Amino acid sequence: MFLTMKVAFRNISRQKKRSFLLAGAIAFGMLAITLMNALTGGVVGNIRDNFSHALGGHVFITGREWTDAGQMIMKIRSDANLDRLLEENASQIEAFTRRSQAMPSLIFGSQQTMHMVYGVDFSEEDKLLDSLVVTHGSLDELGSKDDLIILPQPVGERLGVEVGETILIRLETLTGQQNVGEVKVAAFIEDQEELGLSAAYTSRAYLNTLLGMDSHEYQMLNMFVTDLDFVEGFARTFREGLRTLEEEEEEEAEPAVTVTVAGMPLDPMGEQEELTPWEGTRYQVMNINQIMEAVELVVGVLNQVGLVIFLILLVVTMVGITNTFRMMMIERTKEIGTMRAFGMHQKQVKRIFLWEAVLLGLLGCMAGLVLSGVFAMVVGSLSLNTDPSLQFFLNNGKITFSLPIGSVFLNTALVVFTSLLAAYWPARAAAKMSPMKALSSHT
Amino acid sequence: MAIVELENVKKVYTLGKAEVHAVRGVTFTIEKGDFASIVGPSGSGKSTILNLIGCIDQPTEGIVSINGTCTEGLKDKALTTLRHETLGFIFQSFNLIPVLNVYENIEFPLLLGKNRPGKKETKEWIEFLVEAVGLADHMHHKSNELSGGQRQRVAIARALATKPEIVLADEPTANLDSKTGQSIIELMKKMNSDLNTTFVFSTHDRTIMEIADHVIELLDGLIVKNSRTSAEAGNIS
Repeated sequence: MFLTMKVAFRNISRQKKRSFLLAGAIAFGMLAITLMNALTGGVVGNIRDNFSHALGGHVFITGREWTDAGQMIMKIRSDANLDRLLEENASQIEAFTRRSQAMPSLIFGSQQTMHMVYGVDFSEEDKLLDSLVVTHGSLDELGSKDDLIILPQPVGERLGVEVGETILIRLETLTGQQNVGEVKVAAFIEDQEELGLSAAYTSRAYLNTLLGMDSHEYQMLNMFVTDLDFVEGFARTFREGLRTLEEEEEEEAEPAVTVTVAGMPLDPMGEQEELTPWEGTRYQVMNINQIMEAVELVVGVLNQVGLVIFLILLVVTMVGITNTFRMMMIERTKEIGTMRAFGMHQKQVKRIFLWEAVLLGLLGCMAGLVLSGVFAMVVGSLSLNTDPSLQFFLNNGKITFSLPIGSVFLNTALVVFTSLLAAYWPARAAAKMSPMKALSSHT
Repeated sequence: MAIVELENVKKVYTLGKAEVHAVRGVTFTIEKGDFASIVGPSGSGKSTILNLIGCIDQPTEGIVSINGTCTEGLKDKALTTLRHETLGFIFQSFNLIPVLNVYENIEFPLLLGKNRPGKKETKEWIEFLVEAVGLADHMHHKSNELSGGQRQRVAIARALATKPEIVLADEPTANLDSKTGQSIIELMKKMNSDLNTTFVFSTHDRTIMEIADHVIELLDGLIVKNSRTSAEAGNIS
């Protein structure tokens, strides 16, 4: 095997230009698929990060309870069970945030608009603050004053308000009373309205006051986990740990499917729950992967399309390889005859050609990967001032590339297999050649 | 002891619709240690007979025995093994592997078999051969860096690498000038004497054939003369 590999390796350097072109064709295919995979991988990562920053975590817990008046409200109170779970799983929690939320009318002068407002504790929202792209104003005063609000730029434009001016917030408290408050616009931020994530941010303490909650209460507990690979298991731990006996019995009787978007339950169980109020707080636990499913589906389709393009490129390259190997076989006819005369077996002759194909494939793959790396480094270092909606796909305005090692191996295996397939028939023909005819050849 | 035996061997090639009778029924033997020359004009069947002895072609009729093994009915694998273990080849146009250097070209046949000698033994043997053919200074040169005579010297060393019983040389001097050709034949003769390897070579150069101790002369696929300069002369068929 060593001899055939050595001869094959030397043969590649024999016609440098030809080998370069063949490996170049393979490298181009590898470059295309690697960049496609790395780009989609990077985009998924960025969307996940941006989602988690905007939503304030990777795992989201909401609490619901019934009031004495028979209303269901979203609220999380002090809960020893929840505190215990947080303590037990502290090693897996990078950070957590507690938020309240409302969909109030924002009013400035004669203009008004309804918009999602999150009440956040800015001192525990570093990731959020880092991810916001401020277009006007500043985030500096947020920690020191409660009655400040950050508005998406389009909302500010609709209201005609400027940074530093005060707007009214009109909302219903959790129990349904009308309430009004005043907040000063601290800053405008780029909007991600296209992705359904447009939100304004104010202090949780102030929003709680308007919603009629105590300052230590909140509606959502959002956690960043240290390792996203274990987010499902982590979420399950909380889901099971927070489930009441009553819930378990109900689920056994009728397994429930819960659909939630961006922390807000789109709840097919709503009607059922209205009919059967419960005591205390019931929790819903969801994780970032549930939100990312749709994105990953689209990305999966994109990757499939990329793979098909890659396969088409490979087939074209395969035709080139087959032709080239046929040419090589003809060129080396006498040499094959000589090797056969000295006792080289047919399978050894075949192996020389197949090794050449493998080595060319590997060289092409390596070149493609190196080129992809260089391309990714160059493009990844550029800051792009694109449309705000595109910023959601970027990491601080930069394109990121992320390539799972598995897809590198898969693509390399595909290339090597295709090269082998392309070289197989010429290799077989070379091996089957009669030594006598080969030696009497004039090539 | 006969190391090569041909008995009523015929070879017919098909050329389009025509049949070419390259060898019309020849019988002869070559003894171990012979320095045998097959001579004759172009088309007389020299190369065909060498191909048959070299097991790279099979006769249409008749029997070819190499070192006691009848080649009739042998499959490609067995023929390849027989070639590797028993035969060495020297070609008119040298046929060195261009991507390998002098040392590697000589080593090449040794690496093909299953029972390879040890690394040290191999190295010593190849260095001995390189020295013997006078190319010690060119050990790591590629074939395109050598003259015709030097290339044929490498080919001789390569042919002897596996210590074969028989070395076949098809017009080994045809692409060389007369002086170089003479030196190549002398080198072959020296190896024949030193290693007791049987050499069979074809030529149409009468001056070169004189060095042989066994001359088989062909004309139109038939032996016209089979003579030994030593003790006995073989049959004329």
